[in-house]
Amino acid sequence: MLLFDIVLPGLVLGGMYALIALGLTLQYGVARVMNLSYGESLIAAAFGALSLYSGLGLSPLVALLLAVPCAAALNWLLYRFLLERLMRRGKDRGAKEIDSILVTFGMLFVIQGIMLVAFGGQYYSYSYLSIPVVVLGTTLAVNRLVALLFAAVIGTAVYLALTRTRIGTAVRAIAVDPGAARLVGIDVPSMSGFAFACGGGLVAIGGVLVSMFLTFNASMGVVFTMKALVVVIMGGVGNVMGALVAGLMLGVVETAVARLVDPGLTLAATYALFLVVLLIKPTGLFGRAAA
Amino acid sequence: MSAKAARTLGWCAALALAAAVAALPLYANGYYLALGISVLYFTILATAWAMFSGPTRYISLATVAFFGIGAYTAAVLGETWSWPVVLLAAAVLGALVAAITGLSTLRLSGIYFVIFSFGLAELIRQLVIWYEVNVHKSVGRYLFSAVTQDVLYWQLLGLTALVFLTGFLLGRSRYGLALRAIGADETAASHSGIDATRIKLAVFILSAIFMSVTGAVMAPRWTYIDPSIVFNPMISFQVVIMALLGGAGSLFGPVLGVIPLVLLFEVLTATLPNHFSIVLGAIFVLIVMMLPKGVIGLVAPWSWSIPANGASSAAPVRDESGPLLRVDDASKSFGGLRAVDKVSFEVARGQIVGIIGPNGSGKTTLLNLMSGALVPASGSIRFGGTMIGGLKPYRIARLGLARTFQLVRVMSDLTVAENVAAAALFSAAPAKATSREVLDLVGLAPMHDTPAGELTYIDQKRLELARALALSPQLVLLDEWLAGLNPSELETGISLIAKLRDRGMTIIMVEHVMDAIRALCGHCIVMNAGSVIARGVPDDVLSDPTVVTAYLGGADA
Repeated sequence: MLLFDIVLPGLVLGGMYALIALGLTLQYGVARVMNLSYGESLIAAAFGALSLYSGLGLSPLVALLLAVPCAAALNWLLYRFLLERLMRRGKDRGAKEIDSILVTFGMLFVIQGIMLVAFGGQYYSYSYLSIPVVVLGTTLAVNRLVALLFAAVIGTAVYLALTRTRIGTAVRAIAVDPGAARLVGIDVPSMSGFAFACGGGLVAIGGVLVSMFLTFNASMGVVFTMKALVVVIMGGVGNVMGALVAGLMLGVVETAVARLVDPGLTLAATYALFLVVLLIKPTGLFGRAAA
Repeated sequence: MSAKAARTLGWCAALALAAAVAALPLYANGYYLALGISVLYFTILATAWAMFSGPTRYISLATVAFFGIGAYTAAVLGETWSWPVVLLAAAVLGALVAAITGLSTLRLSGIYFVIFSFGLAELIRQLVIWYEVNVHKSVGRYLFSAVTQDVLYWQLLGLTALVFLTGFLLGRSRYGLALRAIGADETAASHSGIDATRIKLAVFILSAIFMSVTGAVMAPRWTYIDPSIVFNPMISFQVVIMALLGGAGSLFGPVLGVIPLVLLFEVLTATLPNHFSIVLGAIFVLIVMMLPKGVIGLVAPWSWSIPANGASSAAPVRDESGPLLRVDDASKSFGGLRAVDKVSFEVARGQIVGIIGPNGSGKTTLLNLMSGALVPASGSIRFGGTMIGGLKPYRIARLGLARTFQLVRVMSDLTVAENVAAAALFSAAPAKATSREVLDLVGLAPMHDTPAGELTYIDQKRLELARALALSPQLVLLDEWLAGLNPSELETGISLIAKLRDRGMTIIMVEHVMDAIRALCGHCIVMNAGSVIARGVPDDVLSDPTVVTAYLGGADA
């Protein structure tokens, strides 16, 4: 049935988008870094999974155990030695955003350049759990369902960690107001670094999971960055539930456009959805009203 | 050597340099000509980029989108239409796309614009590919044109001259200062009568036109054109790097970045072709970290001339009969909270009206309704005969209603004099106070060249008042203007407000300093929980039992 053919793959895709955007929610919402090299980090993780799978025969799900701590550590170093200085320099939120956008724009080309040198420009994919199963009359690959399952589990874990733990509460406090968070004894720079590193870990999870079912190449990071940004902003900056809903919406809309109109127009659909949401509700679906 | 001789020598050197640049195709070999072409087209792109993104700080990552649109226009139309028409078509298309992009994103905060521009090139590239595959049935296009490298060079040179001329005129016009005011504090700018959205849009379109025409001029250089060549995101990146290295805040800053970087690109493509983007990315990160203001920021802070006040378009309505301001049943809610609940009052000309009440009683919200920061949910606000409820802040400011903010908002990167001049740019008042006059009035005249961000708190408050006065307003709204001043500053502040009243200005002041209310206001309004609970002469009102209860709580509490 056509409806299921669109909705089910759409939700599977949307779940991935939501997971991908989770990391950016932490990096932008909390650490105030609008990370334009986000998609490149994701592709780097995908290449990591590919190398481990084809080189050592390591399952991508095992590769997660390796990729996540590595990515988190790298992101922490990036924040600690590069971005934190900008955060201290910026006079206001606008200046910080612009500086972080510019630096990560530079990082984008560095990471992309390294991947191009290492892997060249061609497309890569590998076959892992690509067994078809039929769900409600629609054929889906097992790897996509496994990825979705992981996305759901990890998303829930992050949500619970943010809302039910002391550290999570501190992180949310910084997202709301870094100045006030400092006044109640939260170590804002180190917590921001921590949130940024966690965001890096999440993007690595996204990259590894995506690599299981998607064909990718070294220069397609921009597309993932765009989608993550759109999801984060549509959902309301720093809002985990909003990111989930926005991610699912985006997934369904894209699948519908690809299926009914033309696969070449999915990005246009992303943009159209983004604009419609922004024009109707500039603070995002679940965003607070602007001060 | 006398100064005059030195200047003549300088002019001669500049002329000689210009002649050498213009005549380059006559004596340079192919390699240097190609290098010259690279320098020129990046100069145009970087200067056009800085024209918009420099003063407003809206970083556009979409340069290549417009460049590509121009190049594709040339590829599609180049062989059938005459060349000038092709260039015109490129300009129109670029302007159109910029207008659509700008209209949908420039009303929002800067970050949305940046993100949208980041994906714009990719979006347009995908749309072009889709069109080529489905309609044209082949993705690449060949462009055979009679344009030689020499002609291409001269076309670019002409365009370079044009972009500098435009940038120069823009910087001198009131729009240049308005743009920088928007970049410094958009809210303060729009409350000073600047139509931020329209100015941003206009300049964004202007810069996009230069970028697309450059793309069209450059198209014959490739012969074969496909989307991945002309929409290469690397071009956007290079342009941003160049402009930032040179300094995006000034007209000639970007060129200072273009020349060294084009040479560096040459060296890099020759020696490290595979590591090009790594090195470039690393250099860029270094520039952002080390040179936030660009090379030109090292040399001298660029001083902009303050434009002469432009001609007034329409005089504000000056209906001398009846009250100056009349608020009828104005209401505004935030969620379930009725912040302002059916408030009505009148203000006669020359009056000072105080609005007092406990914190959270809706005083600032009421001011925001009057100044256009918020739109009233119901009720009407009439100012000198014009309904202003729901008008945009810049319109209200131009009608002669100025305000200050509870949390001081000065345009901190601009000097004191520029802050004041920015407010006078679009005011339609027939007799304008000069910035010198208002600065004298508030006592800031000696500091007119100091950047506003370096002023002390009290001086920033003075500056805000001066900026409001520069609009030659009929009514000034002061939002806790006296808060946070020490006793002697308070005295100066009170006498300053009294001076304004003596000049015939009408003032509404929200204030917690009761001494000031007693000394200045003939009439005051007390608000509590969104409604007016008392009104009248300050001494009577302040002893009113309802008012005492509102401030101090009930006797049994």
